[in-house]
This record gives sequence, C-alpha cells and structure tokens, in this order.
Amino acid sequence: MELIILLTVLVVCLAIGVPVAFSLLAASIACFVALDIPLVVVFQRMAAGVSVFTLMAIPFFIFAGDLMYRSGIAQRLVQVAEAAFGRARGGLGPVNIGASTLFGAVSGSAIASASAMGSTLMPLMREKGYDGDYTVNVTVTGAIVGLLIPPSHNMIIYSAASGIGVSIGDLFLAGIVPGVLTAALLMLVAWIVAVKRNYARGVFPGWPAFMRALIFAIPGLMTAIIIMGGILSGIFTATESSAVAVIYTILVGALVYRTLGWQRFGQAAMQSVKITAMVLLIIGAASAFGYALAVLEAPTRLAELITAATDNPIMVLLIVNVILLVLGTFMDMSPLIVITTPILLPVVSQVGVDPVHFGIIMMLNLGIGLVTPPVGSVLFVGSAVGKVPVEDAVKTIWPFYGALIVALLFITFVPALSMTLPNLF
Amino acid sequence: MTQALAKFTHHAADILVKVAAAGLIAMTLIVGWQVFGRYVLNSSPSWSEQAALTLMIWYVSLAAAAGVREGFHIRIVALENALSPPRKRIMRIASDLVVAACGLAMAIWGGELVIRTWEHTIPSLGLPRGLAYAGLPIAGVLIVVFALERLFEEAEGETVTDEEDPRWS
Repeated sequence: MELIILLTVLVVCLAIGVPVAFSLLAASIACFVALDIPLVVVFQRMAAGVSVFTLMAIPFFIFAGDLMYRSGIAQRLVQVAEAAFGRARGGLGPVNIGASTLFGAVSGSAIASASAMGSTLMPLMREKGYDGDYTVNVTVTGAIVGLLIPPSHNMIIYSAASGIGVSIGDLFLAGIVPGVLTAALLMLVAWIVAVKRNYARGVFPGWPAFMRALIFAIPGLMTAIIIMGGILSGIFTATESSAVAVIYTILVGALVYRTLGWQRFGQAAMQSVKITAMVLLIIGAASAFGYALAVLEAPTRLAELITAATDNPIMVLLIVNVILLVLGTFMDMSPLIVITTPILLPVVSQVGVDPVHFGIIMMLNLGIGLVTPPVGSVLFVGSAVGKVPVEDAVKTIWPFYGALIVALLFITFVPALSMTLPNLF
Repeated sequence: MTQALAKFTHHAADILVKVAAAGLIAMTLIVGWQVFGRYVLNSSPSWSEQAALTLMIWYVSLAAAAGVREGFHIRIVALENALSPPRKRIMRIASDLVVAACGLAMAIWGGELVIRTWEHTIPSLGLPRGLAYAGLPIAGVLIVVFALERLFEEAEGETVTDEEDPRWS
C-alpha cells in the first residue's frame, strides 16, 4: 500500500512537471507520512546522502570540464578527430563521435559533451550538407561514450551508492576499453549511414595543421592523465585529483591557451555550481527515496523475485539490464544509480558479477536511457542545440540505438573487456 | 507588486548563485591546499576535508534554492508541452505548489534536524554538526518564497520562463 503511494506520487509529480528532485522528495514525504515515520528522517537521509567525501569530486569534474569547454578545447579536439577520420565519405559523423570520446576524457558529463560537440560540430556538419536528424543522432549517442571514458562523475555516484566502497580508480580503468568499443561501433554505424545518404567527402587539412591542432590539444588532454595518473599512483585521492584538475585547467586556460579571462572564469564557476546543485539535490532526494524503498523491503522482494525466476548468471544479467533500460527511459541517470544500486548490486553479486564490472554495465545501460524518449536529457540537449525537433531525430536514430545495445551486450557478457585493465594495475 | 517581487527574487537568486560559486572556488582552494600541504609542507591540514564537505553542503543548498526561482532543475516537460495553454497553466501551478510544500517541509523538519544534531561535533573541525546542515532549512525557506513568487506570476497569467540554456533542460 505504502509502496503504491510512493510510486504514484512520484509518477504524478514527474508527469505534471515537478522537478525530478522535488518529485522524489514529495514521494518520500508522502510515504513517510503513511508509514508514520517522523519526517525529520527524510531530511536526515537527504543530508547523509550528500555528506559523502567522494561526492566532492562531482563539482570539481563539472567545473574542470566547463572551464575546458570555455577555453576552446572542443574546437581543437574536433580538428584532431577531423584529421584522423575526416577524409572518408561522410567522415564528419565518425569525427563527431571521435571528438566526443576525446572530450569525454576531459569532462565527466554527457550533457556537457553533447552541448560542447553540438555547438562546435553541428553548424559545420549542416554547412557540409549533413541532415539535421543525423547530426543530432551522432552528437547525442557519441556523448554517451563519455560516460564510460574516465573521468565520469556518474561512476563516483555509483561508488558512493554501492555502500561497499567500490574503488573509483578501478571503475575509471574499467571504463576505458568498453568506452573505446562503444565509440568504434558507433563510428561504424555513423559511417554506414553517412555513405547510404551520400554525404560529402572531407578534406585532409594537411600534416602541419594536424600537428598544430594536436599540440594545442595536448595541454587540455593532460587533464585526463593528471586525474588517472594521480589516482592510480596513489598520489591523490579521486577528490584531490579532481581539484588539482580544476587548478591545472585554470592555469592552462589562462596561461597556455590565453582564452580564459575573469569573465569566462566567473561564468564557468556559476554554471558549474548550478549543475552541481541540481545533481546533488537529486542525489540527496534519491537517498531519501531509496531509504523509503528499503523500509518497505522492496529491494529484498525484487531480489527474491529475480532469484526465484532464475539463478543462471546470464539470465539474471539480462533481466537486470531490461529493468534498468525500462527505468532509464523514464528517469534520469543519477537518481537511478542512487536508488537501484543498493537493490541490484547484491542480486548480481550473488551470481558472481564483479561490482566494478556491474558499474560499467550500469553506466552504458542508463546512458542509453539518456538518449531515449520520453525522458532523455542528452537527447533533448542535442535536439535543442541542433534546433531539430526530438521527434524527427528519433525517427532515424534506430541504427545508433542498435550499436549501443550491441555494445551493452558485449560489455555485459564479456567481463574481460571491463576487468582486464583494473586487474593489471 | 508582483513585478517588484519578481525583480527582488530574481536578484536574490542571482546573488545566491554568486555566493555559491564563491563557495565552489573556496572548496577548490581548500582541497588544493590539502594536496600542497601534504607534498610540499609535509603536513596535511586536518580540517580541510571536513571543511570542504561542509562548504559543499552549504553552497549546494543555496544554489538549489536559487534553481527554483531560475527554473534550472531537471524536469519533464513532455506532457506540459502537449497541453493547451490554460491546462498548462494549471499544471504549472500544481507543480509549483508541490515544490512550495517540499520547501516548507524542508524548513520545518530540516530545522529539527539542525537542532537535533547541534550537540554532535564534527570531528577535526570542532563545529556543531547541525551547523553543516543549517543550509537545509534556510534553503527550505528560500524555496517556499521562490515557489510562491512563481505562483503569483502564474496566477496573474504571466508566463514564467525557465532558463534557456539547454545544458540544464
């Protein structure tokens, strides 16, 4: 009964356009009232949900990515990718995905990636005769790759939500190969579609131009090395490395690129703080919501349901993937990580899935939810930046969904893709 | 009257975001100082992590409240966009009422949380735990004010626009 109240309030609030964080909060409050639990507990769970040291890396990654974006790194990464893939017929499609992959290495957010690539590459693609729907398709699905390529703030949320301290360094390492695989599959699809639609062939800008772009991009890409190197060598914690990345990015933007003045710095700080507030408020509210679910013993019941149905690891992973895909189309990524990790992680652990491996599955799976209607923030951002109606973009996005699903199946059923790198270090 | 209120709350939200941004910059410096202290001065400050976390809870609360006024919190607009303007207005009023109610609850029971945890001390910082959470009820009060302001605007038939930046849509 209380579970029905919890879910009904949530769905109704979401439907009438209450912000996600307040929908979760309203549902938790309604459920606690029905259960006769003191309401102070809601806010205690909320406060506890955000009082986690590792979550401090989130504002830093967002800040560093935003500073990088404002310093003009995106254009340089596009030039590097263009020199590498631009010569093929319809080459700008794969270029877009390659550049998104590189951008994913300096930014932790898929939405930032979609807006950065959208604003730099989409006008160029339209100019060369690419259709609007195609440009949106490659931009938004390419942005999903950044969720797997470290750093990724969603992996930090997963680590915090796991409750068993899954290593952030391991998660970051584990995401690299699946990220590259997903990018390769998307590039293949982007190329096939582009050839079918007979898009123009690109021109190689010449080696000097390529080298200039590469040299200019290197200081920016160093951010990724500082973060990964710092965490893996044990010099920094994840939080420290992200803060150092911010300071490094400020220095590079102000002194090397000379594009970062006080005004852009201020804008970046304000933008980052808004996104941080939005993400962390959702995490806090989702913590209260997750607590309500736990009080109602929903996780145990769901776990029993799944394990009663099958104890075959392949079937369990398939069921879990389907559940996440369905939830992902309706809900945003971060609240789903907070709410479903404590429920599903024990279920998959029981059949021998490594928590690090499961984290990577979850990133891509919920990432697909970000580009599917009715609720897909990255799809909406891409459509808005490209000025293409969501309905039009979705009509032709199916081959790209196909590539993402194939990647998800590979990553789910070939643990070595994720686990080889973290086991090496 | 409504216009003056709209102007005032808009400025207030702007200031909150600026204060929060200063908090983010301060947090960057604190954690940067922690690394500098450990490797250069050979002594890591003991207060830095707790201080940065406390700061974060504060500025997230303030910026989250500002987000209600500026409308940058993620929400689903699919259904709303499919409706006729009068129905859309009813939905937005209902939605703002829910937000206002949540803010009120946050002010009351968040306040209770602050009082209850005032006796606990944050390790290595020596400050009451309740102080770290005090941003919560303050944000609650601000959310009520901001949501009511939007309600007044809706009631007068004005269209309240959300921030355009697609990054937060």
